[in-house]
Amino acid sequence: MNGTLTPLRAWLLMLPLLVIMLSVIGWPFVDTLRLSFTDARLVGTGGEYVGLENYRRLFASDAFWRAFRITTVFAVVSVLLEMVLGVLVALLLFQDFRGRNILRALLILPWALPTVVNALLWRLIYNPEYGALNALLLQSGLMEEYRSWLGDPGSALAALIVADAWKNFPLVALISLAALHAVPQAIRAAAIVDGANAFARFRYVILPYLAGPLMVAMVLRTIEAFKVFDIIWVMTRGGPANSTRTLSILVYQEAFSFQRAGSGASLALIITLAVTLLAVAYVAMIRRAAGGKF
Amino acid sequence: MSTLDLIGIGKSYGATEVLRSIDISLASGEFLVLLGASGCGKSTLLNVIAGLLSPTTGEIRIDGKRVNEVHPKDRDVAMVFQSYALYPNLSVRRNIGFGLEMRGVPRARRDEAVARVARMLQIDGLLDRKPAELSGGQRQRVAIGRALVREPKIFLFDEPLSNLDAKLRMEMRAEIKHLHRLLATTVVYVTHDQIEAMTLATRIAVMNNGAIEQIGSPEDIYRRPATVFVASFVGAPPMNLIEATWDGRGLHLDGSGQTLALPAPDAAPRPVTLGVRPEDLRLADPADELAIAATVDFAELTGPDRIVFSRLAGVPILASLPPHSHVTADEQVRLTFSKRDMHLFDRGSGKRIDIPLRPVA
Repeated sequence: MNGTLTPLRAWLLMLPLLVIMLSVIGWPFVDTLRLSFTDARLVGTGGEYVGLENYRRLFASDAFWRAFRITTVFAVVSVLLEMVLGVLVALLLFQDFRGRNILRALLILPWALPTVVNALLWRLIYNPEYGALNALLLQSGLMEEYRSWLGDPGSALAALIVADAWKNFPLVALISLAALHAVPQAIRAAAIVDGANAFARFRYVILPYLAGPLMVAMVLRTIEAFKVFDIIWVMTRGGPANSTRTLSILVYQEAFSFQRAGSGASLALIITLAVTLLAVAYVAMIRRAAGGKF
Repeated sequence: MSTLDLIGIGKSYGATEVLRSIDISLASGEFLVLLGASGCGKSTLLNVIAGLLSPTTGEIRIDGKRVNEVHPKDRDVAMVFQSYALYPNLSVRRNIGFGLEMRGVPRARRDEAVARVARMLQIDGLLDRKPAELSGGQRQRVAIGRALVREPKIFLFDEPLSNLDAKLRMEMRAEIKHLHRLLATTVVYVTHDQIEAMTLATRIAVMNNGAIEQIGSPEDIYRRPATVFVASFVGAPPMNLIEATWDGRGLHLDGSGQTLALPAPDAAPRPVTLGVRPEDLRLADPADELAIAATVDFAELTGPDRIVFSRLAGVPILASLPPHSHVTADEQVRLTFSKRDMHLFDRGSGKRIDIPLRPVA
């Protein structure tokens, strides 16, 4: 047998995968699309065709735009935080010191934890009565009295962002660490001899090698952050006063709590569209950055 | 223009000694080539001079001042790397001017200096390009420009031509030589290429296993190698080395039963290695007494020479003969050489033995 495949043979080999993909992704997608044009309830009647009514109502509703804003803030801030924290930690762990390998291994822990476990841990940390954060801030004199971090609409989203960034920065750190190892030793040496300080060395020597991998990490993380559901569901369920209700939470409430399958489906499709647009924009950016070689 | 002194430089990583008591003293404007096989410690030594590595023992002095504790950027040295080490996202102009920029030299003076160096290296048309848009030779010119523009006390070159093709390497070699003549800056240049070493250096330090085997002028290194290692490392095709026993009656070539009429000053037999460069061999007349009889394997015409591959008791003997020389395979040839052109080394220590140049007895 030689190494080339006839097109027919190639399609045949891919067929099982295609069938599975079509049945678990393709079909639900088509059905969701169909649902979004109906006023179907979750249980009971199949629903009537209502055209673009669901979409029109969504775009006119404050709840949608508020959730959109919250989602955007969550995604942008948590991804930025992860990027900065991830790169800083990677730079630290790239230094040569005793115990470096142990720390590198420990680094992966938050990321390896299931989201639910991480969420529960942070709920403990934020607990208004016996949480570690309150104890820390009070005992170090930074705060006068205990606060309910997750119970206050003013701080709940920030608290969630910190918890999410904590879980996901190790991914960025790992990718950065790998990229740091790709920086040629000679260029580092050249910059030292040229008299570049630490900041200049980061900017002109390290960053060019970090930019590509970081961009990929940013794509992955932004898309995931935009779809965020589980960590919020476990920690706040979108509250208090809907201050952490992201689009995914809104879909869940719409489709399952209020049992409006049609309206939920249209919202889900809007998220899909938004994420797809994000992905396309990112890929275009990476392509341009790589000079069309990607 | 500066002097450089290395005094007892040693470098170890744990129990591994990479450099052992290196002593070198360079006068201002000298061009020192550190020559050796990969892993001999020559690049490590260069990094020690640059300040990128600190020596375990010993002292580095530039212009007589100890610089062991001085940061690389303050040693006023510039380095050119084999891999060019250009900053990938900066233009050629900024790459060359980077050292000046980092030292806070004003824009106008920087641009002027960059333009001058770029003209000198004929890369003034490339100043707005990025390194990725340059050929290997152009990149190396930029790297050299980056070193030149700072007008450092000492230039350090780490195998700068090894990534270039043969023709370009020759051109750049000539250019570096020309630049050195023009600027007369002190240079330390690391290479494994003996042609580069022979053509560029005012002095060569042949390194082996972390130590200097011999330091001397190219002529010295080639004509009077101090050790068997230097003899075998420098020269292409390499020097013929034949094991022999030397006593009061003559030089007995081991395993062949041949004896050269070259009695030792001492009667006691001494194990030695006889060295003769291929180009110092010629076909013997019957009258020549100092001759080796060998069996021809084959001959290759390289153009200017006919390289004859022959054997003496299993030991390969190469002779670089004039192109018109006539030898055939399996023929027995007598190869002769002048006593001036032969080298003897003690087989135990590998060190050179000076041969008394009295008439053949």
